[in-house]
Amino acid sequence: MLLARRNLFRDRTRFVLSVLGVAVSVGLILLLAGYRAGVYRQASAYLDNTPGSVVVAEQGIRDFLGTSSVLPPGALEAVRSTPGVDRVIPVISSFVIFERHERKDGFFLIGYDPAAGGGPWRLVEGREPTADDDLVIDRTTARQHEIAIGDLVTLLDREATVVGLSEETTFWAGSIAFARAATLESLLRSPGLRSFLLVSPAQGTSAEGLVDQLDLAGTEVLLKRDVIANDARLMARVYDAPIGLMVAIAFVVGVLVVGLVIYTATIERRREYGAVKAIGARNRTLYRVVTTQALIAAVVGALVGIGLAYGAGAALMSWRPQFLVAIEPTVIGVVLASSLVMALLAALIPARSVARLEPAEVFRG
Amino acid sequence: MTALTLDVRDVTKRFGDGETAVLAVRGVSLAVQPGEIVLIMGPSGSGKTTLLSMMGALLKPTGGSIRLDGTAISELSESRLPDIRLRQFGFIFQDFNLLSALSVLENVAIVAELAGLRGRAARDKATTLLTELGLAARLDFLPEKLSGGEKQRVAIARALINDPTLILADEPTANLDSKIGHEIMRLLRSIAKEQGRSVVIVSHDQRIRDIADRVLWLEDGAFKDIVTMATDPVCGMAVERERAVSAEKDGDTFFCCSRGCREEFLGGLREDGRADGRQPHGWSRLAGALRSRRRRASTTQSDAS
Repeated sequence: MLLARRNLFRDRTRFVLSVLGVAVSVGLILLLAGYRAGVYRQASAYLDNTPGSVVVAEQGIRDFLGTSSVLPPGALEAVRSTPGVDRVIPVISSFVIFERHERKDGFFLIGYDPAAGGGPWRLVEGREPTADDDLVIDRTTARQHEIAIGDLVTLLDREATVVGLSEETTFWAGSIAFARAATLESLLRSPGLRSFLLVSPAQGTSAEGLVDQLDLAGTEVLLKRDVIANDARLMARVYDAPIGLMVAIAFVVGVLVVGLVIYTATIERRREYGAVKAIGARNRTLYRVVTTQALIAAVVGALVGIGLAYGAGAALMSWRPQFLVAIEPTVIGVVLASSLVMALLAALIPARSVARLEPAEVFRG
Repeated sequence: MTALTLDVRDVTKRFGDGETAVLAVRGVSLAVQPGEIVLIMGPSGSGKTTLLSMMGALLKPTGGSIRLDGTAISELSESRLPDIRLRQFGFIFQDFNLLSALSVLENVAIVAELAGLRGRAARDKATTLLTELGLAARLDFLPEKLSGGEKQRVAIARALINDPTLILADEPTANLDSKIGHEIMRLLRSIAKEQGRSVVIVSHDQRIRDIADRVLWLEDGAFKDIVTMATDPVCGMAVERERAVSAEKDGDTFFCCSRGCREEFLGGLREDGRADGRQPHGWSRLAGALRSRRRRASTTQSDAS
């Protein structure tokens, strides 16, 4: 609508401010949503990139990251001999603190058998561990701690040599490091220890069918996607409330910015709207003028905000590579839809103000 | 007998209830013929604006009826009134009330678009009208770049764009200088006489009497016999002769709003003849007195309708 556009663009400073307000709000929402998605993606990275669609864990353990699991002796052999099983990847997992240059950090240490799989899926430098004191660590962590291949890292009471660097292995609590299973057995003084088994069904067997078949005492057998979902719920307990709160605040700020701008623009032109109403415009025409202004400000602001979020995300990941900001297309769609909701909410009060205008007021000087 | 454009019968408007109720308009009747210019004058607070708002379907009367071209607009539901206002009335406001963000052309075309004309056709019609009003060179100007007279001509074009039956003008010359005021008055007269539209003007501006077919005096919400009105020669206030303080001078009777004005008037005339030649407050007093006399000679209207 011509009048809406002209009213909005007449005061360019106000228009720019409203667009910036929405852009910051939308940018912040996207950045937070991207950060949250990044956290979830990082949290499920190991399971996502390791073969197997069924996870066998200690009885009562239903997630991969939150607690340590100790499988009963003989579980590995029992699973291997179960009909319908194609491949089994046994892993040991433990959260350990390492120290380097008097700085401590956390490793989610995975012990695996290179012949069976379960190691780094993106080894960017060096090699996989072949000896008991070999270690592959995340490249970002290596940079942060100035660790190069061949350097020694203190793990518990012994030292390990960094032989390889991996990527996509940072996550919320630190980073994933890889060693041979024997290294962890020795480190944790638990010979024969296995935490999880990642099982791939044979051809013709479904993952759900395999879960039913793997009925082993002292174990919990779950679909891998359920374990990932449980890990996500664990993340949600930590992240969702504060991120949700910040998203809500950003949304409200966006609504308030657009609302305030449109409201002041409406009040400023109250007399003009009164004249238009006196001339014969219906309330719905004036609603359309006010709402169109809010929609233009919100949509332009949202588009700028999307650009802003990508820019800020790239800057954040460059500054702090351990953070992953994953802005997903669906979230962009949701945010664009939210900006429309934002505009409609923002237009409510100005529209009410216009609706209450008495056209006869225009004759009263 | 010619059909009436506007027929206002025994219209009353009350604001509020109970003891705080204010009767702004009391049983006013008025009939406006096609092509007639009616000027409604009266002191501030007399109910002029309320009456104008009711005539323009902007305000519902508490009692009585208002018919426009035979349609009882005072009986219509709120939902039907915008269309009536859009197509049957042309409004001209004291403060012009042009849309500041739109150009001259857009200010006029938007009203045609509201009435259903498509963008191009609306713009063409507005261009023609504005050109006729001498604004061809101002089509793309914003209102803030126009003079007062140009703004009022745009407002008149806006009022005319949907070919209304009745033009309602609220103080159309109030914010204009004398020359431009006359120009607007001539324009309103030609709208009435050449296009056959009725024009109702509410104003304090005595100059508009020159173009009006009929002048009505509204006071305390009711039309009063205008023959009884006179202008105080000192302060210029319109006063009822019966209630005024009269002053005799050189065989003429003058009417003042108060004893103070009377004393000042008589004293001023006495001082005019003083030896020092000083003319307190210049010629304005004398001019006021002359206006008062001229009015007594020219006001013959005794009935509003």
